[in-house]
Amino acid sequence: MSRQQFSLNNKIEPILYLSPFFFGLIIWTLYPFINVLLISFKENYNLLTGSYKNLGLGNYIYVLNNLKFLNALRNTGIYVIFTVPISTFLALIFANLLNQKLKGIALFQTAYFLPLVTSATAIGLVWKLMFNTNFGAINQILSYLNISPIHWLDYPKNNIYTLIIFGVWNILPFTIILLLSGLQNINPLYYTVAKLDGASDFKIFRRITIPLLSPTIGLVLIINTISTSKVYSELFPIFSGRPGIADNLYTVVYYIYDLFYVKWDLGKAAAASVILFLILFALTLSQLQIQKKWKHY
Amino acid sequence: MVFPFFYMITTALKTPQELTAFPPVWIPKNIFNLENFKLALKEAPFLIYFLNSVIVTICCVVITGFTTIVAAFAFSRLKFFGRDLIFSLLLSLMMVPFEMLIITNFQTMVRLKLTNTLIALIIPFTSSIFYTYILRNFFLSIPDSLYYSARIDGASNWKYLWRIMVPIAKPSLFTIMLLNAINCWNSFVWTMLVINNDNFRTLPLGIYKFSSEGGADFELIMAGSTLIVLPMIILFLFARKYIVSGVSRGGLKG
Amino acid sequence: MQVNLKNVTKKFNDFKAVNNFTLTFEEGELICLLGPSGCGKSTLLNMISGIIPVTEGKIFFDDRDVTNLAPQHREIGLVFQNYALYPHMSVLENISFPLEIKKVEKKEREALAVEMAKLVKVDTLLDRKPAELSGGQQQRVAIARALIKKPKILLLDEPLSNLDARLRLEMREEIRRIQQETKVTTIFVTHDQEEAMSISDKIVLMKDGVLMQVDKPQVLYDNPLKEFVSTFLGNPPINTIKGNYNNGFFEYNNQKIKLNYHTNEEITLAIRPEAIDFDEENYDFKAVIKERFKIGKEELLMLQFNDLLLRTYATDELNKNVGDEIGLKLKNKGVFIFDNKGDRK
Repeated sequence: MSRQQFSLNNKIEPILYLSPFFFGLIIWTLYPFINVLLISFKENYNLLTGSYKNLGLGNYIYVLNNLKFLNALRNTGIYVIFTVPISTFLALIFANLLNQKLKGIALFQTAYFLPLVTSATAIGLVWKLMFNTNFGAINQILSYLNISPIHWLDYPKNNIYTLIIFGVWNILPFTIILLLSGLQNINPLYYTVAKLDGASDFKIFRRITIPLLSPTIGLVLIINTISTSKVYSELFPIFSGRPGIADNLYTVVYYIYDLFYVKWDLGKAAAASVILFLILFALTLSQLQIQKKWKHY
Repeated sequence: MVFPFFYMITTALKTPQELTAFPPVWIPKNIFNLENFKLALKEAPFLIYFLNSVIVTICCVVITGFTTIVAAFAFSRLKFFGRDLIFSLLLSLMMVPFEMLIITNFQTMVRLKLTNTLIALIIPFTSSIFYTYILRNFFLSIPDSLYYSARIDGASNWKYLWRIMVPIAKPSLFTIMLLNAINCWNSFVWTMLVINNDNFRTLPLGIYKFSSEGGADFELIMAGSTLIVLPMIILFLFARKYIVSGVSRGGLKG
Repeated sequence: MQVNLKNVTKKFNDFKAVNNFTLTFEEGELICLLGPSGCGKSTLLNMISGIIPVTEGKIFFDDRDVTNLAPQHREIGLVFQNYALYPHMSVLENISFPLEIKKVEKKEREALAVEMAKLVKVDTLLDRKPAELSGGQQQRVAIARALIKKPKILLLDEPLSNLDARLRLEMREEIRRIQQETKVTTIFVTHDQEEAMSISDKIVLMKDGVLMQVDKPQVLYDNPLKEFVSTFLGNPPINTIKGNYNNGFFEYNNQKIKLNYHTNEEITLAIRPEAIDFDEENYDFKAVIKERFKIGKEELLMLQFNDLLLRTYATDELNKNVGDEIGLKLKNKGVFIFDNKGDRK
């Protein structure tokens, strides 16, 4: 339908409706995005005066050659590589159990939704206590199995495992939700037919559920990779704001914050954040690709 | 998955002896032992934190709600040049991680001299592309004929939006507002950056500082954590339907 | 109020949805815009309501040019196919909403709404929500809401097509009744010729955005000016045979029908089913009985004429069986001749 219908003040009206939204968007999203791109090329950028030495790739060269950054990339990579598959695997099991139309679905739903609606900081502190070497719940449970106490927090080499366990717990609920909705989209007729053919439960799971669920699983893997790549706030409650007990667990985002908030080196922080953005951007593009395929499925 | 919650609440009710006892005590003897809560409230201004959290959350939800409603209306109902192109550009802007924006946003806050104010915790989050996207899609599903009827009845766009569209969109709107409230209530990183004055801390920052600065006892920290977590659990129990539908669309911590 | 269309045209890009309409609707009439889907009837209605702007031409309400007037200022009531009731409001609130916008006081507008509800017979349902109503009841509420502002024109866009067959019959009587009680000029869009024939004062028959004929239903039926008009109206449909006229005979595949016409040319002969008489002596043409159907009180006869099947009605005296050849005579009324452009001769 044509544009001139109804009122003649149509040209001003959209602007009025959109201005509150765009006011915030421009100041807090659009401008910072462009600004960070600019700053990343300004070498020796001064936070207060806004002055800089010269434009160039200096910040990027520094960051990419910085051992701390490479270490942060490695740590983040390890974290992602462990957290994402483990949580997806566990979520697959849980989602299948939840999909069996059990009674008391509300109760289960509440159980796996709780971590999503509650403060990760507050619960992180609970985990910190649970990881306590002397009287934490985890070592207490292990003691029943005659396993001697593990130094989760105070032995640097264990820190990454501690973080992974906490991370898995953190993203498990959301992963379950996505997989569950994928499972619920599978036509139950397939199962009926397979059962008539005499297929075992395991066979059904392997030959029907997994192939039909594979687009969802692909999506889940990428979404979780994106979110776990940004691991940062998880460090605060568990290691009291430090990247591991001996600063051995720098992650990419921690590195960015360290440069910007502790060292006030905005140019380099910006360069590091652009690098992160490019990595995430590539991941997002592949996510969209998968979603497109999903539609044709 | 619920074990940490169970552990948090039971620990908050334990005596110091029960916490470190061996063999471990899982359920405290006196399950109505509120000593830890009293002590925690005494040692840190949790009430102020609580109040700050409430103020920030309410302001966020109301302002974001408003900007989202009017923007979603413009993007779904009004006609203007390049509308759908602008909207798809906005969607691609969603890919930019907040971690990247935070550098400049912090600078802006410093320049506006807004650090250490509650305003700093509210205004950067008043325009949400994601919520606008959800609501726009809902608005698009309302038949055109309703709009034409109302316009012929003499209603202006403004009146139509608030009198017809918003009441019809109540469930979607409710979902959006709940997600937003949960996110606000739990927000931590940005708060940590812009607030270092005790009077303006919100609950998550407050409990974190309480645990890291004071070297406080674990029972007390657990009591404090319970105070933060409880309101959201209650909210969830009461509005489960809306939160579940919202989260399933990828709205939280995703 | 009288509605005048002057050379009204609507183009969507290059496509002419409504092509050069000049028409007058008299005050107090119930007019049907009739035609197959895609003929432009809804577009025309939406131009009268103002929802769709006019590309060329002018629209007058009495002497007032409303071509560029916004719909809310045109003093019209509009009822949509899907009723467009506000789902969160009760029946009473729905009906009184237009007055609420006008800032009429609550007591006054509710009194008026109740009066409207009585007119359309939903006054026992005032507290219900639209979802709790049947389709017919929703339709009544939508009409009440459209009427409460005392519009000068009531516009209805396919108001009956969402209803099942029985309700449709009931509601079309209702629309007729309400229109006669309120005397409001009413324009009604439909693709159902029976619906149009049964309730309207006048039918505007359209095809491909072009006006075919405007007149009283019976005139359209008895005196169609175009081949399309003759075929679109009538159930069972009219019989059409395309052939040539040669010196006193109409010829189709060398089979002849005696016909009184003046020039030798290619024509289409259109014969209403009821325009065929049985006459074994003085017949115009012969055909073979193919089938006989009893439908209610009437009996339909299918006649094989060359490779065509013609429809007509049997009479009680007819003592012929399937397979018999019979002599047939054309009546004067209900037989039309059209040229190869589809115009009446």
